[in-house]
Amino acid sequence: MNALAAFACALTLSTNGAGEEHLVSGAAHFREGRYAEALVEFRVAEKLGVRQASAYSGASLVKLERFEEAIEAFGSKDGAARDALIDYYRALACYGARLYVCADETLVRIGERSGPKLAGLAATIRADVAAKLAMEPTPVALQWYATRCAQRRSEGRAILAQAYCAEASALAKRSPPKAEGDPAGTSKTASGDRP
Amino acid sequence: MTLALLVLALAAADPCAPVEPAGAPDPSAATAYRAVAEEELARGAFGAAIVAYRAALASDPADDHSRRALHGLCVAPPAPEDSLQQGLHLMDAGDYREAIEAFRAARAAGPSPSTALLQGICHYELGEDTEATELLREAEAYAPHRGEARYYLGLVALRAGAGAEAASLFESARGNPSLERAASDLARLARQDGRVVVSLLAESGWDSNVNLAPTGEPGLTPESDGVWALTGSVLLRPRGSSGPFLRASGLLHEPLRLGAFEVRGLDGAVGWQFRGRGGQLITEYDYGSRSFGGKPYVSAHRLLASGWLRAGGVALGATYLARFESYASAWSRFDGVLQRAEVRAAASPVRALRVAVAYGLGRDDTNDVALRYTEHGPRAELRVSAGSWRFGLDGALSLRSYDGYDAVLQAVRRDTYLDASAYAEWDLSSGWAARFSLDGRRAMSNVPALEYERVVPSVGIAYVRGF
Repeated sequence: MNALAAFACALTLSTNGAGEEHLVSGAAHFREGRYAEALVEFRVAEKLGVRQASAYSGASLVKLERFEEAIEAFGSKDGAARDALIDYYRALACYGARLYVCADETLVRIGERSGPKLAGLAATIRADVAAKLAMEPTPVALQWYATRCAQRRSEGRAILAQAYCAEASALAKRSPPKAEGDPAGTSKTASGDRP
Repeated sequence: MTLALLVLALAAADPCAPVEPAGAPDPSAATAYRAVAEEELARGAFGAAIVAYRAALASDPADDHSRRALHGLCVAPPAPEDSLQQGLHLMDAGDYREAIEAFRAARAAGPSPSTALLQGICHYELGEDTEATELLREAEAYAPHRGEARYYLGLVALRAGAGAEAASLFESARGNPSLERAASDLARLARQDGRVVVSLLAESGWDSNVNLAPTGEPGLTPESDGVWALTGSVLLRPRGSSGPFLRASGLLHEPLRLGAFEVRGLDGAVGWQFRGRGGQLITEYDYGSRSFGGKPYVSAHRLLASGWLRAGGVALGATYLARFESYASAWSRFDGVLQRAEVRAAASPVRALRVAVAYGLGRDDTNDVALRYTEHGPRAELRVSAGSWRFGLDGALSLRSYDGYDAVLQAVRRDTYLDASAYAEWDLSSGWAARFSLDGRRAMSNVPALEYERVVPSVGIAYVRGF
């Protein structure tokens, strides 16, 4: 069974309450690749009080390449549900929004909770993320994340702002120490001193 | 093919078509859908907003608010998502320039790997490789589109004459199951492409009629013999596959016993290849010389122009050449100008199969009027690839009419030639292939002494590599 079919089945089995019909309808659209329709149904289910519908909206948003909104739909990292497939979509959302540390941390969490197919997909993305994280973050990149954080905060999008700030912080820790008087981090020697 | 699949995968039904009621009116469901529609609208997600308004109207056809909002969205200037759809339709219609503008408008709303991929493909189709590369690299960074992006980056590299880079990109695009076959074939071609291309073919076989003698005619008997042949060429293209080129080639064709029929040759050529959107043109000057039986035989200057254009699913091509031939004194009756022209059409009805048909016209204006002729006739090709095997089948018919009376033959010659050949090639390793071929000719003439049959089976090994 592929990951998408598993997702649709998981949805079908987990339905209950007033939004059930919309959740099932959204799953059917998702399975057929009609992601905008799936999103609308999941959003309606959310409004009707189906708690897990938000995560499914997130998966639809990933498919629609609306990565930032997907991150918001999945909610804060700490309060995340712990379904391996939802975590996979969350990781894709992070990846699409260039939040590579976020993607990596989410993929690590999938670990042994998934089947071999999903584990394979996760491993592929993780290898890709590892390649990106292996590159030393440039000051320009760090500034980009910090600016994004400030922008999203000013727009009242706290979850996103927190995600960008956390990424900036995590990437900064990966940067080599800068030499005194070298704010641009241009030193080339191992000790960080100018030659 | 790949592009069409991509467009189909991304296209959607008309969002502004009339809305059919879903059943009994359900105003509460309509209210929920309308609320979602307004949220999506506020986020700038016009496509999802349209879907939600349509669902609201389907739930409650009396929902005038949703009806007005939907109408407003359908008559408004294209929203980013509509621009994507508009771009897809334009791209599907082959209007790449307008499609780029639509994709650019869609991308203005925010980064989108899908739109970057599609816009990159449009730039590639227009030959704008710098712009294409930038966008395809952007799409490549998004894992789900990596295969398609690398496939087109490979095509860009191939066009630039960077065969090794193209081969590497095609190899990595093979991970996408829908691209595996095409990427695999292109990877093989890319390894044979580059700014310097070296090719060698060594063959050995048996020729049933080395001396082209008639069967059953007194005085001359067909002589069969083992033969071996070696051909090689080096192609220099400093600006890749579009631009000037230089080519040097040589051939050696030697019967094992009948040394008088040995042929050796050398050629040098210079030309220009123009590659554009959906077509190609080659112009070339070639100087070649041949020896026959160890003695000088002919030298010739040749001018050639050849081109093809893609029209729908068919490639239409034409070739013209003029060869100014100067023979050694023993053969000087053949001195003159040989001209040939051919028109052809090729198509691939299924992915692994290519068929081509052609019709040719030739004219040899020799100094000796008895040897002047006009010939014409059809030709057909069939090519099949299956994994690491490739098969080919060719057939041709030539009808040749001579201008004047030949006093030696005491006739005005009229000849008919039927040629057929088949081959199989098997990729051994990078650049190397084993080749098995069977060539045959039946020559018919109103002069019985000029009728003959010939069959040449051979095996060989070929090497083609681009650098």
